Amino acid sequence: MQTGNVRWMSLLLIVVLLVAGCAAPVAPPAGETAAQQPAAPEGVVTLEFWGGWTGPDANTMQAIVDRYNAEHPNVRVNLSMQAWSPLFDAFIAASSAGSAPDILAMHPQELAQFVHLGLILPLDEIVANSEVIKPENYLENAWEGNKVDGKLYGVPLDLHMHGLYYNKAAFEKAGVAVPPSTPPVNRNEFMEMAKRLTIDANGKSAAEEGFDANNIVQYAINAHTNHHAFFQWWSLYNQLGGQLISEDGKSCAMDLDKAAQAWQFLQDLVYVHKVAPQGQTDYPRDFLDGRTAMLVDGPWRIPQLEQAAAESGFRWGATQYPNIFGGEFAVWGSGHNFTLPSKADPNKQAAAVAFLEWMAANSAEWAKSGQLPAFKAILESEEFQQMEGRAPFIASMPYEKLFPATPKYNEIFASNAPTPMMVMAQRIMLEAADPAAEVKTACEAISAILATP
Amino acid sequence: MRILAPAGFQARAAARKRIHWTPFLFLAPYLFLFVSLRLGPSLIGLAISFTNWSAVGVPQWVGLANYQALFIDPRFRDALTNTVIFTAMAVPALVGLGLAFALFLNQPHRGRGLGRVAVFTPYVIMPTVVGVLWTWILEKDFGLLNVLLGRQIPWLVSPSWAMLGLVLAAVWSMVGYNTVLFLAGLQDIPTELYEAARIDGANAWRSFWSLTLPLLAPTAFLVLMLTIINTFQVFDLVYVMTSGGPGTSTLTMVQYVYTTAFQFFKFGYGSAVAMVMFVILVIVALIQTRAYRRGLESIY
Repeated sequence: MQTGNVRWMSLLLIVVLLVAGCAAPVAPPAGETAAQQPAAPEGVVTLEFWGGWTGPDANTMQAIVDRYNAEHPNVRVNLSMQAWSPLFDAFIAASSAGSAPDILAMHPQELAQFVHLGLILPLDEIVANSEVIKPENYLENAWEGNKVDGKLYGVPLDLHMHGLYYNKAAFEKAGVAVPPSTPPVNRNEFMEMAKRLTIDANGKSAAEEGFDANNIVQYAINAHTNHHAFFQWWSLYNQLGGQLISEDGKSCAMDLDKAAQAWQFLQDLVYVHKVAPQGQTDYPRDFLDGRTAMLVDGPWRIPQLEQAAAESGFRWGATQYPNIFGGEFAVWGSGHNFTLPSKADPNKQAAAVAFLEWMAANSAEWAKSGQLPAFKAILESEEFQQMEGRAPFIASMPYEKLFPATPKYNEIFASNAPTPMMVMAQRIMLEAADPAAEVKTACEAISAILATP
Repeated sequence: MRILAPAGFQARAAARKRIHWTPFLFLAPYLFLFVSLRLGPSLIGLAISFTNWSAVGVPQWVGLANYQALFIDPRFRDALTNTVIFTAMAVPALVGLGLAFALFLNQPHRGRGLGRVAVFTPYVIMPTVVGVLWTWILEKDFGLLNVLLGRQIPWLVSPSWAMLGLVLAAVWSMVGYNTVLFLAGLQDIPTELYEAARIDGANAWRSFWSLTLPLLAPTAFLVLMLTIINTFQVFDLVYVMTSGGPGTSTLTMVQYVYTTAFQFFKFGYGSAVAMVMFVILVIVALIQTRAYRRGLESIY
């Protein structure tokens, strides 16, 4: 009968749709640069490698991976890259489905939360026999920064920290001597530079009589209003010897006076001394356009500055982040590392470790992206030491302070969410809120986050 | 007894027994997508909201703990307040401008086609692109809007201006959709009615108040409902333009769901926020439907 046929056909169609829906292969993360890879021939190990590089460093990493693939016909490394935050979303989803990548890059301070979720393998046994991946081959604080509860979870790739870039032309025009690349300038030297490099429409500097603070054409330095604001605060707070989280990891251990003191310095640059602009958003552009004479930023900025130098004759130099509080020098820093996810195919582990060993010995290429290799042989090589603008950053490496390892890292520090650190930074730097009140609020919020299981 | 049965009864019983499958065949693709992508996930979300699931591992039942935590969570309060403020600012503009554009673009004049395209185009641009675009337009020092205004308003970097900046971007990108709905509503009104009104001596203003508005009421109701629901769920623009900042000044409900679930790995808590939002929207829809019915009764 006619209707019977239709009935069966519709059922069949539904079944086909259901099957098609269920059988659809799980797509890899929509990589911005991951090209469609041809299927691997028999006997070739395929490694899925995920990273969050999306700037020019993405091309650098892809070139390194391409070279590895060319040199190793038995291995194919598939590099997938997208911004860090969605990358970790995809990683959680893939792990949940039991198909995590074989290698995942991240930052050391993010390790603890993934370790806490059981998604990252401890490496101590896996690299126990490695001739390459062992502590003496790496910068000590890079190696130690990849430990959680005493166990190693990440293989360091590089370090980065804040430094102070300056515009040579602006210094010459103001008659200010450029600072040496090391050691860091102290508070008096910094304030002297800052005042003399802030220029009003009449050409007068903030150090002169009759300076018009309402018509400033060149500020001395940028003022971060994004997460880099609390990165800078972290440098200054550590210069005062501060601690953030209690030893047991369950509460905020901020020294409120020192915390407020560090913020006060940054806030005063904008609202009291008027040597830094209020509500700034595009720091590198303002620096390259001459709206600020100095820029606090990381070594990842170097390629862009080199390009500006080549294209428009922009003359720049770099020194260490200032040592404002005179104690032992400290500067915010972080880095990249490689981890082995726990929900990946264990049979590919050996191939993944071999790739990471090769990576370490060949990280010189990566240094061109501005990052500072954590592998000593590369770091100490003549070739790297001579690279332009690296000296102040290399000198800062032993003093870099990572954020504390906590499973609640994102809840406290995430930059694109209303975390206590972001709220504190923006209230102080954009709304001129009282630092003493804000650090107290932030500390209470951090304690509340840490207290929940 | 059989004889006493009404004549149509047997035929109706037979019709009830015979199920027509053919319509379901045509509905199948939609129903499949609806169940697998909408209804199913929503029900799973409801279940997750009673657990402490972190996307990996086995979820543990925590009862109403997530909902209890919501009541003392200052961030949730911020998100709720901000969402209500955003909705209260954006909805009148979206409905009012949508109607104004529709009335204008319904007139027979040159440039009508171009105008319709111009009003609707922003709606088909991806929200992320709109976000990036408006981040530039609202830039403090060189942004188009500040250059036009001759001022330096810190649109997105000041907690007191950021919400307005977002509303501007949202209205620009979403008003085209309302315009199209209103246009469709306007074209449904028979022109004879206007002719009759003109013969009766009604001027343009009078026929707008007594004809256009009452007859447009069902469309206006639909537009209002959709706009409230859409603005209440604003996410992409906020995420791209401010990420909820500065501070918490533009944190909205959906962004808070995203933040807690995908950034803080607290899927149970994030689902609870989503459920609260769902309940709020259902209540709003119910109130509106009742008000609408009462309104219709007074018109006709």
